[in-house]
Amino acid sequence: MEDWRRGRSAFWLIGLGPTFWLALFFLVPLAIVWLYSFAELRGLVDMEVTGTLDNYARALDPLYLDVFGKSLAFAGLTTVVSLVVGFPVALAIVFAPPRWRPVLLLLVILPFWTNLLIRTYALIAVLRVRGFANFTLEWIWEQSNTLLSLLGLGSYQLLGERFEPLELLYNNTAVVIGLVYVHLPFMVLPLYAALEKLDRSLIEAALDLGASQWRAFLTVVVPLSMPGIVSGAILVFIPALGSFLTPDLLGGTDSQMIANVIERQFKSANDWPFGAALSFLLMYLTFAALALRAFVARGRGGL
Amino acid sequence: MANRFLSGVSRRSFLAGTGAVAAGLTFSGKGFAAEDKTVNFYNWDTYIGETTLDDFADATGVEVNMDLFADNDELFAKLKAGNPGYDVIVPTNDYVERMIVAEMLVKLDHSKIPNIKNVDPAFMNPAFDPGRTYSLPYMWGSIGIGYRKSRVNSVPDSWKVLYDSDEYAGKIALLAAPSTVLQVGCKYLGYPLNESDPAVLERVAEMLIAQKPNIRVFAEDNGQDLLLSGEVDLTMEWNGDILQVMAEDDDISYAVPKEGGLLWEDTLCIPTGAPHPENAHAFINYLLDAEAGAAIADFIQYATPNAAAKALMSEEYRNNPAIFPSDEVVRNSETAIYQGTDYTQLIDRLWTRIGAA
Amino acid sequence: MARAPIGPLEYTRRTWMRLTLLATFVFLYAPIVTLVAFSFNDSRRNIVWRGFTTKYYERALGNSELIEAFVNSLTIALLSTLIATVLGALTALFLWRFRFPFKAGYEGAMALPIVIPEICMGVAMLAFFAKVGWPSGLPWPFSLSAIIIAHVSFSFPFVAVVVRARLAGFNQELAEAAQDLGASEWRVFWDVMVPFMRPGLVAGALLAFTLSLDDFVITFFTSGPDTVTFPVKVYSMVRFSVTPEVNAASTVLIALTVVLTGAALWLQFRQEKKDR
Repeated sequence: MEDWRRGRSAFWLIGLGPTFWLALFFLVPLAIVWLYSFAELRGLVDMEVTGTLDNYARALDPLYLDVFGKSLAFAGLTTVVSLVVGFPVALAIVFAPPRWRPVLLLLVILPFWTNLLIRTYALIAVLRVRGFANFTLEWIWEQSNTLLSLLGLGSYQLLGERFEPLELLYNNTAVVIGLVYVHLPFMVLPLYAALEKLDRSLIEAALDLGASQWRAFLTVVVPLSMPGIVSGAILVFIPALGSFLTPDLLGGTDSQMIANVIERQFKSANDWPFGAALSFLLMYLTFAALALRAFVARGRGGL
Repeated sequence: MANRFLSGVSRRSFLAGTGAVAAGLTFSGKGFAAEDKTVNFYNWDTYIGETTLDDFADATGVEVNMDLFADNDELFAKLKAGNPGYDVIVPTNDYVERMIVAEMLVKLDHSKIPNIKNVDPAFMNPAFDPGRTYSLPYMWGSIGIGYRKSRVNSVPDSWKVLYDSDEYAGKIALLAAPSTVLQVGCKYLGYPLNESDPAVLERVAEMLIAQKPNIRVFAEDNGQDLLLSGEVDLTMEWNGDILQVMAEDDDISYAVPKEGGLLWEDTLCIPTGAPHPENAHAFINYLLDAEAGAAIADFIQYATPNAAAKALMSEEYRNNPAIFPSDEVVRNSETAIYQGTDYTQLIDRLWTRIGAA
Repeated sequence: MARAPIGPLEYTRRTWMRLTLLATFVFLYAPIVTLVAFSFNDSRRNIVWRGFTTKYYERALGNSELIEAFVNSLTIALLSTLIATVLGALTALFLWRFRFPFKAGYEGAMALPIVIPEICMGVAMLAFFAKVGWPSGLPWPFSLSAIIIAHVSFSFPFVAVVVRARLAGFNQELAEAAQDLGASEWRVFWDVMVPFMRPGLVAGALLAFTLSLDDFVITFFTSGPDTVTFPVKVYSMVRFSVTPEVNAASTVLIALTVVLTGAALWLQFRQEKKDR
């Protein structure tokens, strides 16, 4: 790494473009919204930046902190489930024959290529009362019933009188399923990247020394793939925290997340200063999560 | 049954009508010179006749660019920061008020809209825009309960089934519109729709929080789809939406409860900063024409406030209680008015509380 | 002939692993398959299967608004990917090569677009373009400029992250060797570094492309008349009239991206074969 003073012309040449873009087309707009969070409403359209802290005071009301908490819970759960589902997938791809690896990776990423809205709507078609999940379960139920009749147990109606479809939609379960569905590739890819660099001889050594597969996995693979796990967790947790389309379309009456509240401030509530204050609180929360990660990473010796 | 609703006016009679329209429309040539031949129309999706835009282009040579928005808040948010170039917009009544207060609308020049005479006089002097200075009516309707006949014990005649009872627990849906739901809740409790006393609104919120376990979902705009697919058996919805699914499923019906409901009206307005005000006036005039209006109403199956257009419609359309509510219902129902930022903020806060409870 | 026994590390050959993989793919693809299947449904509201038809494909391909929205989205995606890849590569290079005061702050600022809630950014861009008085009614494709700028802003940091990860593995000695052999700084960059960065550039570009094509919130807030994009159009269609047309259009989009990606990969594969 060079000190900037040494390669001055290259420094400016390379750095000017990105810096200018970031400053003008990102930081400036953000600053405008930041100012709005200190503004008061003046009638329906105008806002005046008065430096008031009222908006933040309202945002720290227990009602809204409650919603923040729920969003953190949703995001956390999504991250955990994504990890549990994504790890075997990443592992399977890494240890697959080299020919298959790009194909499998592509297959994992491909659903991601579909527009979010369409994917969510398709998920609805699968999860709803007359959707494929329930159709499949009903089919299994019918086959089991047939089997039971064949065994002479038909009259006992062991599986219930009628197939009761599972309510997989319009509740918190659906939101988590939806969030995992949308963010899974973001977990698999960093895990794959980390696992790929894994030195397999270490696993072999552990097995040679008598450890069971499971033990080798827990004590060798997991710690070594920690950077991947952390990256994946961050890449899932943060967007999940700020998502509003998925809880909107898949959620029930209990599934309000903070992004839904923020969205409403910019729309039906027409309260831009308050919405700005809420979004900035969300951002500070996100930074706190990132800082925590950096702290943990440093504690582990800069991994 | 499906086809009858959707293709009432046969193509032949419609084409004949268009000819008459083209011949009958009078436009002053001056004023067009300054503007190029386009008009930017910001409208709800599928809220226009099948060939209306093309017919207008044929008749006047002015191309219509129709852009879509999904709800009034979107429209308002988009225009709030400055008109990005729309000429004609379609806000609902309470948003017209907001926009008038915020000086976002241009006064309409009635002399450029001779078809204004087609509008039913009952609509010419509403509380939200006296004398129709800024807006002209496009469509109107009600909000009521769509339900599946075979799954209800009796025709739902009260909002109680949605707001205050577990009779159909887990199979009911309400709208995801904070103000509408709370306002109708006020009606149910016997208060006026536009009750602004925070204590009353709190009561409505408490009632909804208690009712929440029975409500399946607050449906954004697809309550009718949920009804059709069997996710819910009763839903609070706009009449036009329920009509569309009634065409696909005979088991579905619509009713406005006895406490009365909410009457809404979509209007045509010209936002300030419109680049083609002349074309905008001409377009609005065209939409208010009897034949064009009838074609639109026939396609989208909403109630038209255009008396001349209504006269051209079929008996079935005019007598359909789902499209044109009975006089009693109209008497009991009210339209929403805009009540200022404090009211809006209170509504949002209560809604957040309902969602978080 | 007996199959070779499963080695201790060959996880993928174990049955339970394969089952898990299969289950995950079913989970990922069931909605997509449903989507494609229902595009052939002969029912206007598309809730219940009523029969097979391809008429909605004709409708979708004949729906000029939908096509226009589609073309707009593709154009935006292509242009913003181009700009974002260049900017992202420059950023990665910049951060990898130089030490300078406040570097940590700069890196933090670069991470902001990744971290910020989409709606916050959408509103910020809306407010910005309104305050600046961004001209509207420009001829195509300049009418899409506001959306393209917004897309670049949120996607180039992603590209930077990907490229930077790739650069971390660059062996500085190669550059030094080239310089010793007399190459100018520019040639070192173009002939030694860029080929090395290429996989990162490709990955970053693909990521930027996807992010742009998939975006809804930010696009909505930055678009105006004449700039309807595919997700916005679909959103309004989905809210009002969920016909199989939407499914048909989406299927076409999926097919298109599959073909494009396949082509990109195949070209890559051929290139690697040549390099070998």
